[in-house]
Amino acid sequence: MEVLQYAIRKLLGGIPLVLGVTFISFLLMVYFGPDKTYELLGKNPTQEQIDEIRHELGYDKPFMVRYGEYLKQMATLDFGASDSTGEPVSKVLARTVPISLALITPGFILGNVLGILLALIAAYHRSGPIDKYIMGFSVVGMSISFLIVVIAFQIIFSSSYGLNAFPVRGWNVHSFSDYLRYITVPTLATIFVALGYNTRFYRAVLVEEMTRDHVRTAKAFGTRPGKLLYKNILKNSMIPIITRIMFSIPLVVVSGSLIIESYFGIPGIGKVTYDAITTGDQPILKAVVGLTAVLFVITLLITDILYRVVDPRVSLK
Amino acid sequence: MRNLVWSLIAVIAVGTTGCGQEQRNNGFDPNLKVYRHAMDQSPSSLDPVQASNVYANHVVLNAYDTLFAFKYLARPYEVKPNLAVDFPEISDDLLEYRIRIKEGVHYIDDPAFADGVGREVIAEDFIYSIKRHFDPKMRGQGAWLWQGRIVGLDEWKESGADYDQEIEGLRAIDRHTILIKLIRPYPQLIFTLTMGYSALVPREAVETYGLELASRPVGSGPFRVTSYDTSKIVFEKNVKFRQEPVDIWYEGYNPETQGFTGVEAIQGRSPPFLDILEIDFIAESAARWNSFTKGDEVQYTGVPNEQVDNILSSKDPITPTQEIADRYHMYAGVEAGFVFQAFNMDFPEFGYNDDPDRSRRNKLLRCAVIKGFDWSKRNESFYSGLGIVFPGIIPPVVPEFDPELSRWSVERDVEEAKRLLAEGGWTADNLPELVYGTTSSVTSRQFFEQFRGWLKKIGYPSDRIKIKQFATFGDISRAWKNSTLPFVAKGWGLDFPDAENTLQLFYGPNGSPGSNDANYRNREFDELYRKTSVMLPSPERSKLYQRMNKLVIDDCVAVSGISRTRIMLWHKNVIAFPDREIVGGFFLKYVDVEKQQPVEGEGT
Amino acid sequence: MSSVAPEPVVDETVVDDGSAHRESIWAKTVYKLRRDRLGMVGLSVVLLYFIVAIGVWLGIWATEWGDVEGPKWAPMSAEYWFGTNIIGQDVFARAIYSTKTAFEVGLVVAVLSTIIGALLGALAGFFSGTWIDEIILWLKGVLDSIPFYLFVAAVAFALSGNPYAMHIAMVSTFWTTTGRLVRGEVIKLKNFEFVEAARAIGVPQVVIIFRHILPNTFHILLVQATIVFVAAIKSEVILSFLGLGVQDGVSWGLMIAESTQEVLAGFFNNFVWASVFLFGLVMAFNMFSDALQDALDPRKVASE
Repeated sequence: MEVLQYAIRKLLGGIPLVLGVTFISFLLMVYFGPDKTYELLGKNPTQEQIDEIRHELGYDKPFMVRYGEYLKQMATLDFGASDSTGEPVSKVLARTVPISLALITPGFILGNVLGILLALIAAYHRSGPIDKYIMGFSVVGMSISFLIVVIAFQIIFSSSYGLNAFPVRGWNVHSFSDYLRYITVPTLATIFVALGYNTRFYRAVLVEEMTRDHVRTAKAFGTRPGKLLYKNILKNSMIPIITRIMFSIPLVVVSGSLIIESYFGIPGIGKVTYDAITTGDQPILKAVVGLTAVLFVITLLITDILYRVVDPRVSLK
Repeated sequence: MRNLVWSLIAVIAVGTTGCGQEQRNNGFDPNLKVYRHAMDQSPSSLDPVQASNVYANHVVLNAYDTLFAFKYLARPYEVKPNLAVDFPEISDDLLEYRIRIKEGVHYIDDPAFADGVGREVIAEDFIYSIKRHFDPKMRGQGAWLWQGRIVGLDEWKESGADYDQEIEGLRAIDRHTILIKLIRPYPQLIFTLTMGYSALVPREAVETYGLELASRPVGSGPFRVTSYDTSKIVFEKNVKFRQEPVDIWYEGYNPETQGFTGVEAIQGRSPPFLDILEIDFIAESAARWNSFTKGDEVQYTGVPNEQVDNILSSKDPITPTQEIADRYHMYAGVEAGFVFQAFNMDFPEFGYNDDPDRSRRNKLLRCAVIKGFDWSKRNESFYSGLGIVFPGIIPPVVPEFDPELSRWSVERDVEEAKRLLAEGGWTADNLPELVYGTTSSVTSRQFFEQFRGWLKKIGYPSDRIKIKQFATFGDISRAWKNSTLPFVAKGWGLDFPDAENTLQLFYGPNGSPGSNDANYRNREFDELYRKTSVMLPSPERSKLYQRMNKLVIDDCVAVSGISRTRIMLWHKNVIAFPDREIVGGFFLKYVDVEKQQPVEGEGT
Repeated sequence: MSSVAPEPVVDETVVDDGSAHRESIWAKTVYKLRRDRLGMVGLSVVLLYFIVAIGVWLGIWATEWGDVEGPKWAPMSAEYWFGTNIIGQDVFARAIYSTKTAFEVGLVVAVLSTIIGALLGALAGFFSGTWIDEIILWLKGVLDSIPFYLFVAAVAFALSGNPYAMHIAMVSTFWTTTGRLVRGEVIKLKNFEFVEAARAIGVPQVVIIFRHILPNTFHILLVQATIVFVAAIKSEVILSFLGLGVQDGVSWGLMIAESTQEVLAGFFNNFVWASVFLFGLVMAFNMFSDALQDALDPRKVASE
């Protein structure tokens, strides 16, 4: 009951955030945003035709009316149809979000799991050569631009100039083996880049934890390293780890991976959103931005509840 | 730890290449005939009223039917009846067209129809489909083709676009006969009826799906769409498509130039031949090329600019290297379009000025820029030297092209350019700021940098030439239509092979927001345009076209132009003569693949 | 994506506390920094790049970056050290010129977002629990929950072609981390004796914030600025690839964007040199930034 009350309070408290996000993005992406009119024009338009299209798209309505309509759409979760393809926005999302998730999840999980593992090893051997080695590797990983990695990996793994082992691009998934074939290179690129950041972050968290008194005490009392690691260190580091992972989720789910999807031609939500920006497809933009904000609020809530699960001392205030 | 990472990679790699062995034919049943085509952009929409570019046209023409089409193999291009039984019967005053359509043609089965069974295609469908362009709610883009041409059509729109209201000049006389009455002769009408814009759409589908029709076509074309997203479209054979055996000789087959394609194999058989047609939209040329050369992905590609030198052993004539010739079929053709730049004459700094002396000096400035522009270098940098540089605005693809025209306006001459500037009294201090509008693509930027580099050589200071970048095509288009850019760089794709289609780009009354972005206004040009617009093709008309071309050149309005040569490659097991210009989407139904040959072209 | 997005990643735990013996910490910091070999190497490389950038800025070298008279895709030679690109521009001159672009982007974004982050963070911290704090937290939350690239793209469109659209977008999203850290620090600081003393003798709040509190967050600002600098340079590459980046001029990002069409035809000059220059600067900056963080970490100072 307490949790439920808390959740409702928290969700209500998220309303200003959602309003803020929708307002700013409406202002930027819709009101001052790209103009679809001139994409929809024929080759030799008259002023009259231009006005007709603006009217059809609703661009001639006053600002507050349009924003009001947007809020209504947010409330009913009905964003209408894409201005480009005429496909209902809900269908577009239903088609593309799962693809983005399928594409990103393995890299996301592996990137974090491997990051934590490497961080554990580094932290355990703190200041030793292994630590320096791992941290050096992570600085290198952090310093290479994601774009460079993507281009290089595509040449190395997928092109006929390299190993030629994976599809260059696309998303033609009919079976699990297809799936593996298509995600391998993007996943490797994602891991490669994420690993540097993740390792550093987790190492810092773990080192912080290791230097705490109770860990030192436990160590002094001869607790086995495995148990020490699990019970005293990892468990107590859960809060920053959860924070980091949870806050990545809304962006991953809704905005997908723009670079990966556009470079590898994968029809996920990231590519669709970016295309929507470059063609001024406002219904899609409105949906994506609005839903990201809502997800953010929900994430905040779940994170708080998770804090409590891992550490009962945290109170839901 | 790194070892762990690498062994993990190895595991994934081994696992997936292992799986790769069983995976052939792109996940389709290996007994099916599958052809994977590639385009460099996704279509804007699949609704015929929005088939505004070559990409949309490709797709629309395969899902829907048009009254007329272009012959598969004939070059120069020739029109043939498609859904029409024959060519139209035209009255002597060229104002009345009677077109009979084939009987017994049906739409694909779709829930939009009663009982879900596709009904017969009738003349009324054509009437309805053209009317849609004049109904603002449909967001059509093809109205300009028929605006002010057909009796009663514009009035129909004025009075509220009620589909049940009949139009005098656009009627179905019976179930299978269409009558079109024109306000004045329109010799290009038959061309417009080959375009995706004029494809026949059943009213039931529009009413059932509304805007969603743009992503789920319901037509009577050779294929039906099974899936469509931003990365690809998949068609399957329309089993109900009318049986019409191909006569390759009628289609214009030339054994000498086309024999290598193996198209003789389709003689006497009824298209479509494919079970599955997939078109991948691959914007990045490197990715497209990779996918093509891999062997088991797309089977066709236009050769990206940066690969051309690698695959040719000679550029004149265009000959592939042995390695390429062994592996692929190749065809090189000139595009039906061109790339050009033009001054916006509405800007008093460069164009028309109330002060006659300034007008004179502006013209010298424009001529100097034209003389400073290095078309052959542009050709070499971006088109591998294979493009065709031509003076004026009548490109080589149309019959009215004049190869004898003086090349003064396309030959760089730095000294002459400097002389022209000096004659106009232009110095580094008083040259006006030139704002060059462009999209944000890499190539557009390079165009700009090249342009600025050349002008620097003729004494135009680089800090006086500014780039204005637009993030979307819609935004730059808005700038053109609102006449806010002094210098316009763009390409124009021809809708049909007739110079009228490019000359209208400089017709005064078409000024902004029309397609005359240069806002060129020349009384003689405009009179000639009106005169020729009702003339049937003839040597006399060609002469007048060429006169108009000369006017544009002499006024130094446009820095023009180049038609690109496109080199196409396709896998050897594909039987086709692909051409993305003019014939465009029509060729796909004639594509066949040899089934016995392993699908992996590479290494065999 | 977000796991690789250029969000400045800071381990709060390292910089989140410590306040007391400021003076001695600065002295120790310089001492520690000097002894950090990797850090000093990083700093030297950054300075080297900086000199190159200044030279470009003064017009001493790489002035011919825009000339188009060279041959297409010339290989590396004595005349064209790194070869030429598709329109005959000298890749070496362009790589050098891009150093200036990188510093321009990095410095503008780092300085502005640090200033904004410091001010808003200090305000929020000083007035924590009041409506000022609420509004600033709300703003931060809003900016954090719009996907980064969408936001930048949207800003670029909304400002239709403004050459600083990219900078503005980055500043408006990058200040939030700095702001959060400063806020946390200020909340701690404002309960210290010297602040309470100042308040007791009636020093105005503005003066307290600027004279007594902000200077004590300087270590956070310095580290954050270096992190934002790197993030800005890396983001520029992606944004230029997407066509949202630098508009006039050239940058490593633009060179890499150009190269995506060339690499598979076997022309690697743009790709390799832009990548090498970019990697060199980012790596050096990261090394320096690490050393700085180590040196400023009061716990480590104390534990020695």
